[in-house]
Amino acid sequence: MSAQIKQKSSFGVAQIILFLSIAILVIVVAFPVLLILFNAFWVEDHFDFANTISILKQPATYEALMNSIIIASMSTVGSTIVGTFFAWLVTRTDIPYHNFMKSMFLVPFMLPSFIGAIAWKMLLSPNAGLINKFFMENFGFDGPIFNIYSYYGISAVEIMYLFPFVFIQVCGALERMDPTLEESARISGAGLMTITRKITIPLVMPSILSGALLIMLYSMAHFGTVAVLGIERGIYNIPVLIYERIHQSGGSFDSIRLGAILATVLVISAAIIIWAQRKILSTGHYQIIGGKSFRPTQLKLRGLRIPMMLFCFAYIGFTIVLPTVIIFLVGGLSTYGLPFTPENLSLDNYKFILFDFDVTRDAIFNSVTLGFTAAVITMFAGVMISYVIVKMKVRGKGILEFLGMLPFSVPGSVIALGVILAWSGQFGINLYNTVWIILVAYIARYMAFSLKANSAALEQIHDSLVEAARACGATMWQSLKDIVLPLVKPGMLAAFFLIFLPSLRELTVSIMLYAPTTRTIGVAIYTLNEDGETVISCALAGIALIIIVLGQFVINHFSKKAGV
Amino acid sequence: MRKKGIMLIMAVVMSLLTVVLSGCGGGPKQASSGSGSGAGASSGGAAGGNKLVIYTSMKESLIGGIVEGFKKKNPGIEVDYQSAGAGKLMAKIAAERQSGKILADVIWTSEVPDFYNMKNEKILEPYTPSNIKELLNPFDDYDGTFTAARLGTLGVIINTDKIKEDPTKWSDIYTKPEYKNGFGIADPALSGTSYMSVALLQSKYGWEYFDKLHEAGARIGKGSGQVIDDTSVGELTACLGVDYITNSKIAKGAHLKLCYMTEPNALLMVPSPVAIFKGTPHLDAAKKFVDYLLSAEAQQKVADAGTVPVRTDVKQDPKHGLPKPEDALKNGIKVKYTEILPEKENTIKKFTEIIGKK
Repeated sequence: MSAQIKQKSSFGVAQIILFLSIAILVIVVAFPVLLILFNAFWVEDHFDFANTISILKQPATYEALMNSIIIASMSTVGSTIVGTFFAWLVTRTDIPYHNFMKSMFLVPFMLPSFIGAIAWKMLLSPNAGLINKFFMENFGFDGPIFNIYSYYGISAVEIMYLFPFVFIQVCGALERMDPTLEESARISGAGLMTITRKITIPLVMPSILSGALLIMLYSMAHFGTVAVLGIERGIYNIPVLIYERIHQSGGSFDSIRLGAILATVLVISAAIIIWAQRKILSTGHYQIIGGKSFRPTQLKLRGLRIPMMLFCFAYIGFTIVLPTVIIFLVGGLSTYGLPFTPENLSLDNYKFILFDFDVTRDAIFNSVTLGFTAAVITMFAGVMISYVIVKMKVRGKGILEFLGMLPFSVPGSVIALGVILAWSGQFGINLYNTVWIILVAYIARYMAFSLKANSAALEQIHDSLVEAARACGATMWQSLKDIVLPLVKPGMLAAFFLIFLPSLRELTVSIMLYAPTTRTIGVAIYTLNEDGETVISCALAGIALIIIVLGQFVINHFSKKAGV
Repeated sequence: MRKKGIMLIMAVVMSLLTVVLSGCGGGPKQASSGSGSGAGASSGGAAGGNKLVIYTSMKESLIGGIVEGFKKKNPGIEVDYQSAGAGKLMAKIAAERQSGKILADVIWTSEVPDFYNMKNEKILEPYTPSNIKELLNPFDDYDGTFTAARLGTLGVIINTDKIKEDPTKWSDIYTKPEYKNGFGIADPALSGTSYMSVALLQSKYGWEYFDKLHEAGARIGKGSGQVIDDTSVGELTACLGVDYITNSKIAKGAHLKLCYMTEPNALLMVPSPVAIFKGTPHLDAAKKFVDYLLSAEAQQKVADAGTVPVRTDVKQDPKHGLPKPEDALKNGIKVKYTEILPEKENTIKKFTEIIGKK
């Protein structure tokens, strides 16, 4: 129980904080989303559901929706299998180097999947992909062994970059699982298969499912991979269709409305997914908390030990190392299409994009400043809002809790469309075509990360600390400053980096909002690739990868120190 | 301890910022493309808004040199340009008009119908360049609202490793086996030149031409540059490509060749008009830029970049294999621009339906 609300002076502070928190969430997140819902059903001056349904029935819309579902389902199933298998392998078997592998399997988290898609296009496009060409030239294949421009290709690339969502959840569950459960089954005479089927799988199922749903949520609303690999063969999903319509229309209302309807579909599916995830987590969570630090028994792979290890290394090499190498190599070519021989390779493109080419220099500058500003603002706003949600007992908190859930469930392209509706002049403020609109969208998009990190940190601070301070005569402000703030600093730092790094490679939101002057790194890579400046776009992708990996190093270093 | 950690992180972030910032300021400050918050602040000396802004669909290899030359001639005028696809620029202009102020002073793209549209909407400032007599003019109804500054051409770009024999007729694309399943056309919704070429080919050969291309497995690519890169790498064997983009890649060693069909009056010639926006605060500077763009000096740069100028008195490098300006004008497929104008959306839709059919 916090005592502060009983005192008159702090009553004001509490109310101000609450009011500010609600205001931020309403302005940044709720208002744009409401505008989308409103525009999806409001035609001229009345609600018209029939019109909305007729738009949904148009072949293009319907097909985009189906594509989103098909691609998301294939990616989800694939990532779940891959992620669960590797998680089991590194936590429950005696495979060598499992710690190293565990960290390698998390690397795809850092890599932007649209850069991966560009790399895989170069490796597996049907006629010119390096791997396809290699097989056709050396083994007499008539056609490509794999065509990346297909549903399978798109899903395969998404799986490569999304499976860590499941991997990380399942690893955690397997490590936390109480081994006595399995041991008692074994003592009672159950075989390995029975134990796996009856004990292990049911116990980790909630984690697998919640990871799978995260992937589903992400993939439904994912722009980059589908845009890079799908458009040429007429495969497009909801975010790609929204982007294409908005960009071709020059801001006509019809396309905005179509976008709003599609965005509504995304919001609804996201809501269903989130609801399902909560349901699963609430039923399954308690079962796996063991608390005791027994090491679970490890399965001896015996003869399979070395082959499995080689398989893991091959997977890592194939999905992580190979695409990265290709990006850097193509970035070094003088023009795309030349063979990778020393005379064709140089650092000229890298020099050009860093020092001479305004588009890329601006893009790097824009992304770094946008990411930094968004991270700082979101970090502070996040700690304030989480404080109200976690610690304060004030009236009206329920609204805030609901609002605080919103950023988690609104996909990027929906946020982008929402800020276009909200901030392009209809309500007095016109930010369209400026960096500010991207900043607003970033804040809305990344608020969820900040809320998560900060509320986790705040939950660990016991109320008695603040109460003790207040009992000794500190004002509320003093207790906040001297007790709470120092203790949540690690959470705030984590929030900062959780926002700063992803925003450096952000594409889904910025592609909808950029103007020629306000390209971000992601947009520059994407548009340069689309414009046929393939080598330049790869060089920029290479630089982006370097910045991201260095940033990750800094995080790991400091988060260890800060004990996050 | 924790404080130190934060300070360190801040230091790292700040130094990262400084590196990028100094990277921005370090290079020669050619055409600082006013990056939103960033370069706007760093433009320092010039009083805000005292900059000529050009929107163009010409790529860096063409516009960069011209702007530099103009600045050398007019040291008092600051210039800023935005290079992007014509469709994206028009979308930006539409948004800017809604907010009440077009940020560009000059526009130079290859999407002729857009210029007729803007003329009808009366947002262009008529200006007849002082050197008009020396220029080739592709527009019958010329009235000074916009002036062609380049006679861009498109040819069939072949990958020289895959196709040995130059195509000579438009029908080669669907009769000869080497083009089967390997011919690409940029998405007309993204690229103005691609849209214009589709309209030109359709007016000359009808939609049957595209039906036959579809039967021969022709594909829709993305931007006008990407189809050329796809041809260069061998994903496509040939494509419809813009002259100077191809020439700049050939100059860097790409195994490509730009081929023109030898049939009479079958050249894809797409003029790139330049125009000044009405109400620009930099009218004098804008007029100076248009004059410069049409001068022998700038047109020489146009020719050197590998495309066709609007003046007959500039030297064309034979390595580019381009037609002479007067021939480009004479042999170009003739259409009434005002007639194809209202058809734009339908043309794109029909084209996408035919070629994209599964």
